[in-house]
Amino acid sequence: MYFRPMALLSLEHIVKQYGNYRASDDVSFEIPQGKIFGLLGPNGAGKTTLIRMITRILYPDSGSILFNGEILSDKHTEIIGYMPEERGLYKKMKVGEHLIYLGRLKGLSLAKAKKHVQLWLEKFDIISWQNKSIEELSKGMSQKIQFIATVLHDPQLLILDEPFSGLDPINSKLIEEEIHNMSAQGKTIIFSTHRMEQVEEICDDIVLVNKGKKILEGSVKELKQRFKENKFKVAFNDEIRADLLNNLNVVEKKEGELVVKFAQEHRGNELLKLFVEQGVEVTSFNEELPSINEIFIRQVSNN
Amino acid sequence: MNKIWIIVQREYITRVKRRAFIITTLLAPLGFFLLLTSSFFINSYSQTRTDVAIVDETGLFKDVTVPDAEDQTVYFHKIDEPYANVEKMLPKDKNADAKFQAVIYVPANFSLDNATKSSIVYRSVQRPGNSKQQFINRRFTTAIQQLRMKKMNVSAEDLEKARQPVELSFESIGNSKENKGYADAAAIAGLVMGFAIYISLLFYGTMIMKGVMEEKSNRIVEVLTSSVKPFQLLMGKILGIGAVGLTQFILWILLTGAVNVIAVPMFGAYMVNNTHGLSAAQSSIDPDAIENIRQNMASLPIMEMAFLCPLYFLGGFLLYGALFAAIGSAMGEDSDQQSLTFPVMVPIIISIIIAGNVLNNPDSNLGFWGSIIPFTSPVVMCSLIPFRPVWWQVALSLSLLVAGFILTTWLAARIYRVAILMYGKKVTLKEMGRLIFAKQ
Repeated sequence: MYFRPMALLSLEHIVKQYGNYRASDDVSFEIPQGKIFGLLGPNGAGKTTLIRMITRILYPDSGSILFNGEILSDKHTEIIGYMPEERGLYKKMKVGEHLIYLGRLKGLSLAKAKKHVQLWLEKFDIISWQNKSIEELSKGMSQKIQFIATVLHDPQLLILDEPFSGLDPINSKLIEEEIHNMSAQGKTIIFSTHRMEQVEEICDDIVLVNKGKKILEGSVKELKQRFKENKFKVAFNDEIRADLLNNLNVVEKKEGELVVKFAQEHRGNELLKLFVEQGVEVTSFNEELPSINEIFIRQVSNN
Repeated sequence: MNKIWIIVQREYITRVKRRAFIITTLLAPLGFFLLLTSSFFINSYSQTRTDVAIVDETGLFKDVTVPDAEDQTVYFHKIDEPYANVEKMLPKDKNADAKFQAVIYVPANFSLDNATKSSIVYRSVQRPGNSKQQFINRRFTTAIQQLRMKKMNVSAEDLEKARQPVELSFESIGNSKENKGYADAAAIAGLVMGFAIYISLLFYGTMIMKGVMEEKSNRIVEVLTSSVKPFQLLMGKILGIGAVGLTQFILWILLTGAVNVIAVPMFGAYMVNNTHGLSAAQSSIDPDAIENIRQNMASLPIMEMAFLCPLYFLGGFLLYGALFAAIGSAMGEDSDQQSLTFPVMVPIIISIIIAGNVLNNPDSNLGFWGSIIPFTSPVVMCSLIPFRPVWWQVALSLSLLVAGFILTTWLAARIYRVAILMYGKKVTLKEMGRLIFAKQ
């Protein structure tokens, strides 16, 4: 069993229905304090509906959401920061005043909002943008402003819906670093995406939803273990005798490299022993764990 | 509450700082000023002087004066020359200079008893305009009437006495301030006020609708609703834009006042004379009636108007503002759904039609119901206030207006909070109706 820290947010049997369509169908999961939590699912799986219920934009038809053990209420919106996938700003406003406005709506005093805006603009080295109007900014620039608006009030819980969509590699890197920074400061982050390679790099825990239902949850490490297929990658220097290969289930074969799927009851050591006994000079030996992407595709298509 | 206030400030400040706001606020009174001055210049340039020679072969007109026009457009000159000579003095074409531009010929066989048998002729190169023709005709009719009276041995004084005008005095019981012509003054004041409310409801209602559409189509609404409740956003927008409207209104009143202070002494004296001159020439407006209206303006219930009209503006604005916001939330970027505005526009348009009717019949049933029903009362009641409606009618109307805007705000909030986040789906009127009654 892996250790689960105290949950910051608990969703219990959440149901949300639009007409005949169930966007959330009895969904329960916990988001541990201080972790980067991936909310995954194909398009239309019900991720945004779940997020909107956490941010109190929508209310569940039944079920409850607890924040630090309390029933989630409007006072909690001031300690949540939300960057939606579809995001916009008032085009005619100036960067500085826009950020101050959004900060004040999150409960900051005018003085505090001004101070925080200064700090963040300095941090991103864009203090000169302060008096630019939003419509003058490029897409990448306004994404940065969006991000600052999300974290300005120093939220305990940060919800990022597809934060990298439309970002160039440099800005992506910047935001990713910031996500890790915030996590190191003990903030909890919900990261919603359908891009799996990012999940593996960034998230500690994930929940996978499809068609309104939760189909999988756990830590990235644990899930990889749970869904592993006993595959091993062996690299070697010599030729391998054909009769050795005949007895093995070879999944992939390249020059000097093999991926072997071993029967579930066997351990990696036994495979390695087989190679060594045959006099093969093994240069590396690794267990091949499934990528989150593979798990995702398998689960979604099974579902 | 605090957050509504923050939203109100943003809505207010960003709009008031906009160049378009400053320009329209300044230009409207300037436009009024230009209208005033241009009418002065147009009037003074459009009137050309005509000198008319009168050739009287009968000798009748020796004993009667034919006065010139007060506005200095027509001068009569009695000439003792044969008609043929005078006609030669007329200009050959209309641009040529001459002492006389026209001649009036009274032939020798003209008879006071049978004026139609042989008529008086006006001859000129250029045919006079309609108002000049009427003026000249009236002058000669008066002169001939005087000559006939003289023939019947009626003195000029007796004639004047007989022609003393009679006018009935229409008064409201218990209101000593009202004078003759009060109804006209009240109708003018009522029309101005009703129309001002009508225009501002449409103008600022549309502004709210556009503001909501902007927030929906650029998707900032998703960020906003994660910070504040949709109801706070809705109220902040309505109140903020309402304050913009009120600011513009007050500035307009002040600036128009200033324009009047500057313009009226400049042109005022001329205008008064000019109105008399014109009305004499056109005969359609009685100068005394204008003077009456002018005097009666002072006895209008100014205090009630100044107090109640902003109240009705506010009430009507809140009532319709909420509905416009709901429509805007349904439209979003989908501007081809303009037809959704129809159900909100219709009652506003109906109310100005009722108001127009009510000005002629202030105590009609239509006026009563129009001033009571909250959807029409802002425009209709404001038109009625100069006619001094009874206090309970005002009280009933105001309480229903308050109830009305609470109802529309509640309805609008139910539509708004869902529709504002609906993308990619057309929100029809039917869908909006469903949202009102849906469990939320």
